[in-house]
Amino acid sequence: MLEIENLKTNFYTYDGVVKALNGVDLTVKDGEIFGLVGETGCGKSVTCYSVLKLLPKTAKVVDGKITLNGEDITHASEKRLREIRGGEIGIIFQDPLSALNPVMTINEQIGEILALHQDEEVNELAAEQNIPAYKSEKWKGSPGVEFTILAFCISFISLFVMLGQAAFGLPFIAVIALMLLRDYLQKDLPDSALDLMVIEALSRVKLPNPKQIASSYPHELSGGMQQRVMIAMALAGKAKMLIADEPTTALDVTIQAQILQLIKDIQKEEQMSVLLITHDLGVVAETCEKVAVMYKGKIVEEASVENIFANPQHDYTKALLNAIPKGGKERLKVPDVGEYGAI
Amino acid sequence: MSGQPILEIKELRKHFPVKNVWGTDIALVKALDGVDLSIESGKTFGIVGESGCGKTTLMRTLLRLVNPSSGSVLLSDQINDDFSSNRLENLSHEELRKFRRRIGVVFQDPIGALNPRMLIKDIVGEPLVIHGKTEHLRERVIELLHNVGLGEEHLYRYPHEFSGGQRQRIVIARALALEPKIIVLDEPTSALDVSVQAQILNLLNDLQEKYELTYIFISHDLSVIEYMCDRLAVMYLGKVVEEADTEELFSNPRHPYTKALLSATPSFEKDREKIMILGDVPSPIAYLDESKAKLATEMTEQERLEIKAIEGKGIDYIVRSSLNEVLPLVKVSRNHYARVKSQ
Repeated sequence: MLEIENLKTNFYTYDGVVKALNGVDLTVKDGEIFGLVGETGCGKSVTCYSVLKLLPKTAKVVDGKITLNGEDITHASEKRLREIRGGEIGIIFQDPLSALNPVMTINEQIGEILALHQDEEVNELAAEQNIPAYKSEKWKGSPGVEFTILAFCISFISLFVMLGQAAFGLPFIAVIALMLLRDYLQKDLPDSALDLMVIEALSRVKLPNPKQIASSYPHELSGGMQQRVMIAMALAGKAKMLIADEPTTALDVTIQAQILQLIKDIQKEEQMSVLLITHDLGVVAETCEKVAVMYKGKIVEEASVENIFANPQHDYTKALLNAIPKGGKERLKVPDVGEYGAI
Repeated sequence: MSGQPILEIKELRKHFPVKNVWGTDIALVKALDGVDLSIESGKTFGIVGESGCGKTTLMRTLLRLVNPSSGSVLLSDQINDDFSSNRLENLSHEELRKFRRRIGVVFQDPIGALNPRMLIKDIVGEPLVIHGKTEHLRERVIELLHNVGLGEEHLYRYPHEFSGGQRQRIVIARALALEPKIIVLDEPTSALDVSVQAQILNLLNDLQEKYELTYIFISHDLSVIEYMCDRLAVMYLGKVVEEADTEELFSNPRHPYTKALLSATPSFEKDREKIMILGDVPSPIAYLDESKAKLATEMTEQERLEIKAIEGKGIDYIVRSSLNEVLPLVKVSRNHYARVKSQ
């Protein structure tokens, strides 16, 4: 499914070049949950951002090859990348609250992905059920546009009122009235095909009352629900591959168990490949089939989950496993991990 | 001295009012709802629970950073410094200052706890200056830094020049500055990697031995809790649902929430019994209005959905709303209390 060969990513900073990735080799097979573990700064997240080209401007992929389903996407165009992001590879970030847009409803956010990647399906469903495909064109313009128009109108009105020529303000009042009228009329429109698909996407991640959740804002939902919404978004584009970057770090253990179970269930149902990035070896043991341990921008060990915990080969893996408190009161062995990031 | 209660918490309650726009109370957030604990001197007392269960409020009430609504904290002679009363809530402002010398705090996020514009020597020396112990200040600060594995060369640096683990060491050094008897550790390692976590846990154990400290260790990571603590209380919705010695609690959990918590913690053991807790974290808000007053104890729609999803997967489950029913704390065996139906 996803093949990474000898990937090297550098960060160009004022202090010099930071070699975040020093030749990463990784293969995620079809329908497999692959775990990538390592400590802060070892390059786990940079690996996944390099695949999706979500790196900041200071970073550059200098060497290596990334293959997705046999297609070389190392130097893919921005247009192609936009199809891949969300369409072929879905991604779940660590902190759902900062990954979701706080001023857009869940409906708008998931609808955006569906409109971009599933336009045909939306139209098909619309034709089938004889309902409009999209409720309005609202999703296409950003909320900022409407706000700007509103601000302009109000400032002109107040300007004319101040000049004592309130009558000139009337056309602007009319614009505001029209905008409000449009919103009022659209409020009672029947569900569009897009709405139905959003609701379907939400119920796939076992969210109760999806219709109500669709119309709410991210801050109104609990952490677990937000992460479920994130998963729904990652799956909305019918991606066959899911990258989960520390999906449960911000959650409580009981909620973490729910979310991991959900990811496992969905992976099985849809036969997806999942690349699970985490620092928690326990999570890997519970969820993954294969696991790679990363250290200083390199993969130091790759094995099946049973083998890596029963019989770790690399010194770093051993040290990492020893550092985890396990019952007993004997002193913890502190691994000598050295400094992060080679400059 | 070891084994004597140093702090006793009796029926401690902290209710935060929720006001409507007119300023009248409409509901109470029952952050602490009748907590009884006895903390033994020279031991480590653990408090676990998920976000919103009242762990942090308990810590803040113990330091009297917030005043409890009712109930009391009894101070033993070890930390009672000729105070007019041995009840924490009766102490005057002056006495509170003295009391806070006896109790140190280590917060979760070391970056947030350290002033970015102060030098390490000022940060560690600040409590000494505030409490007027300015003799040999420099030597004392160096000694404190040595205690936590840092040195004289770190005196004239700013917090941002240190790694996460080192910053946590600085916070610990500052907490030790006034030679406290008790140190409250609020998730001291949750922001750290396992290897650094191992260092910090070792350091905490060394310091406890050296200074005969009592730790109150708040965490959600059960493997850390199991390693560090002698006795343990599990909190749920502002109440202690189970309290026992660590070994006893881990080998013989009685309350369904404890069982689910232990099972939800990711571990390397395969084929262990899996108990999932279904549904979302309940709201601790209790409405004063009678019609809304009851906490939901019937199954929610999400729980029904999740039950359907995991049926036939060989996973036992606990419905979270069933945990909202409050049972009295009963003694299940020696030193082991839980809120379960007595046999």
